[in-house]
Amino acid sequence: MTALKKPFEGMRVADFSWVGVGPTVAKYLADHGAEVIRIESNTYPEALRRVGPFPNDTPGVDNSGYYANFNSSKYGVSINLKHPEGTSLARELVSHCDVVTESYTPGTMARFGISYEELSEGRDDLVMISMPLYGQTGPWAEYAGFGHILQAASGYNHLTGWPDGPPIGTGVAYTDFLVPHIATIALVAGLDYRRRTGKGQYIDFSQYEAAVHGLGTAILEWTANGREMMRMGNRDPEAAPHGCYQCKDGRWIAIACFTEDEWTRLKAALGRPDWCDLERMRRKWQRLNEQKEIDRHLSNWTWEMTRKPEDPEEAEIEGVEGVRIRKYASHELMQYLQSYGVPAGVVQTAEDMHNDPQMKHRGHYWKLEHPTMGLRTYDGPSFRLSATPAELTKAAPLLGEDNERVFKEILGMSDERFVELLADGAFE
Amino acid sequence: MARNQYNTLQMSNEARLPLPHPDGPLAGYRVLDFADEKGQLCARVLGELGADVIKVEPRGGHPTRENGPFFRDELGPLTSLYWWAMNAGKRSITCELRLEQGRELVRKLVAASDIVIETCEPGTARDFGLDYETLREANPGIIVVSITPFGQTGPYAKLKATDIVASAMGGHMHLNGDDENGPVRTTVPQAYAQANFHGATGAMIALYARGVNNGMGQHVDVSMQEAMANAMDHAQQTWDIRHKNSRGPGIYRERAGERISRYLYEAADGWITTLANGGISGPRGNGIIDWLEQHGAARDLAHDNWRLKLTTLEPLTPEEQAYVEETLELFCRQHPKDWLVAEAQARGGGWAPVYSPREIVEAEQLKARDYWVSVHHEDLGESFIYPGAPFKLSRTPWKQRGRAPHVGEHTTEVFDELLGMGEAEVKRLRTRMVI
Repeated sequence: MTALKKPFEGMRVADFSWVGVGPTVAKYLADHGAEVIRIESNTYPEALRRVGPFPNDTPGVDNSGYYANFNSSKYGVSINLKHPEGTSLARELVSHCDVVTESYTPGTMARFGISYEELSEGRDDLVMISMPLYGQTGPWAEYAGFGHILQAASGYNHLTGWPDGPPIGTGVAYTDFLVPHIATIALVAGLDYRRRTGKGQYIDFSQYEAAVHGLGTAILEWTANGREMMRMGNRDPEAAPHGCYQCKDGRWIAIACFTEDEWTRLKAALGRPDWCDLERMRRKWQRLNEQKEIDRHLSNWTWEMTRKPEDPEEAEIEGVEGVRIRKYASHELMQYLQSYGVPAGVVQTAEDMHNDPQMKHRGHYWKLEHPTMGLRTYDGPSFRLSATPAELTKAAPLLGEDNERVFKEILGMSDERFVELLADGAFE
Repeated sequence: MARNQYNTLQMSNEARLPLPHPDGPLAGYRVLDFADEKGQLCARVLGELGADVIKVEPRGGHPTRENGPFFRDELGPLTSLYWWAMNAGKRSITCELRLEQGRELVRKLVAASDIVIETCEPGTARDFGLDYETLREANPGIIVVSITPFGQTGPYAKLKATDIVASAMGGHMHLNGDDENGPVRTTVPQAYAQANFHGATGAMIALYARGVNNGMGQHVDVSMQEAMANAMDHAQQTWDIRHKNSRGPGIYRERAGERISRYLYEAADGWITTLANGGISGPRGNGIIDWLEQHGAARDLAHDNWRLKLTTLEPLTPEEQAYVEETLELFCRQHPKDWLVAEAQARGGGWAPVYSPREIVEAEQLKARDYWVSVHHEDLGESFIYPGAPFKLSRTPWKQRGRAPHVGEHTTEVFDELLGMGEAEVKRLRTRMVI
């Protein structure tokens, strides 16, 4: 049997994208076997290279952990597109590539003479995806921004927070972690079409338009029912109880009961206190009206059932009538509830995630050695392909790290020409 | 209601559903969808790219048909908006997987399909004949996408998780919320949304891999927890590099575990978000300060020493930062949000309005790009606006393929078309309560 090919083995990608969305899309290709070449510039370094965390808190274009995570398995070249030779270098590089990814403000690629029309001249098989915030056309096409604020325009702020408080949104650049998947789906579908027909195409991807597809039923609630969905803290319109409850060790635990069965199991886990057998707690539609009271009881319970990590002797204390009462750490309380079949989970910190036994079992985090940052943790994909799994082959590239190899070996540039362009600042 | 102005795509009442989509990049592929909330949207997206998506339901209909909200708040088989949103454009057949005859039918369907999407609890797929081993026997080229809370194996594989539990265990939720009230979930389920899109991403990569590996299928094992972990922004690296735990910053932004600046401000008619102190901090700061000055709202920021400090990104003391934020707060409160955003953007400031669902449907940008599609529900005699193309492919476009199917709407058609069953055979299976 011949060895299996990695999904994108033999495919070469020119990655002109920057920040979160575009690099994540190209990372999926790179981690699954494509040769992805990031094209950057020393004169105008990509924004994320300037953003921390930096090892030793020392800023540097080759020292950003933020940048590194989105650019595993990729190679790096630098071209100054404002140099007289910049455009022709970029065009020549693309002529050796199958795919172009980019996420600049619309018009930027055309200004440098590397629009899809120009790059695909004389060839039919180039696949290119442009991924700016708002798409190639329309009154907002040139609006500036990042995922932090796109989550506002696309509804995630309105739908995240407490009902009586401001629309705080998520604490992350949320759409940067939702829409790359939608873009990858489109891009790989286009690539599969190309594999079968030999024909390429251009994909006009608007982060905004993709993000709206993550809003569940909120759009139809308006267009069909004329009702606006509102943020409701940790509640859910169809579950009671449904929330986060604090434990003595400072962590929070999420508990959700959608079905009557789950509620019965929770009651058993709680030891059937009187309040949960009240008539007004009997059916879900009744409990939905009693959530304040349920939350109060559950908050007390999670608090009382847990202990601080520094008090191990509290793990078991003498009860009033000599019955031994166990006190749990928050993760133990989760396991206790789960042992009754109740959906429950600790609100895990980044530290918890690094120590999480399931994440370890799945091998989610990869440790990769970087020349200036040392051994660092990178995210792998959330899915395991049984036959052709992702492989993070190397840490993120240094800025311009692969100039010599790419320009000499792929473009076939002579030593003299390379040195000449280097001295002239074409790779700045 | 603003609904009628979008009714551009009138379809005839007799249109056969789902609408054909031979121009999609996935036209010719077939997807069997056995999924619940964790995988129905995944299958829908593949359908809108051209695949023939068949939703396989138990005879009484899939339980998620009872998920709210409901059209006009009327519970019924045709009215779940959840069902509409997640299953539009699919075909529906019924088949009882608890019966051996049902499982046998599934094996035959799998032989004629490319992708299976299932969301059984790990270890239980075998009971329904949906485990990878069984399906691979039926079709070695089949790609089986299993979407579960924590993946197929491992210490947490059997734990139960809904959206909020996966958001919590995936580390994402800890980054949302504020100090007073603790962590918060996004009200529209994001662990489910992420799991669906990650699942489709894995499915597409496996499909491509099949093409370059002589038709070899494989198992795609998706974890909702990991999908949320991927949405932790740079909190994971911040722990790795700085040993700091980021947490929900409320109306502020955090960078590498440190609170940097406020990003959410109240406008006269709602809220706006901004980057970098509304653009005041940074090379284009003068344009924004001039704008505030025109409206008599720049306060001391108009002075040269402030301008220099802000445009050169000199670090600000907490008092100075608070002064800048207070200046913006006072200014924003006086003006409507759309005006603020348009004026700030004209000066290079990264501002965006906080939009509600209604405002999104009415947003100029989406209208200008002809985003929305009208979907005809001939069963209700009405059309409704749905989100449109999430991507515009120049050669093989996306297409909305009509309303979600009724229970078993396509049972006879599918069994005839794919398995060559005559009406009599279908009738026999019906009386035996297999379909």
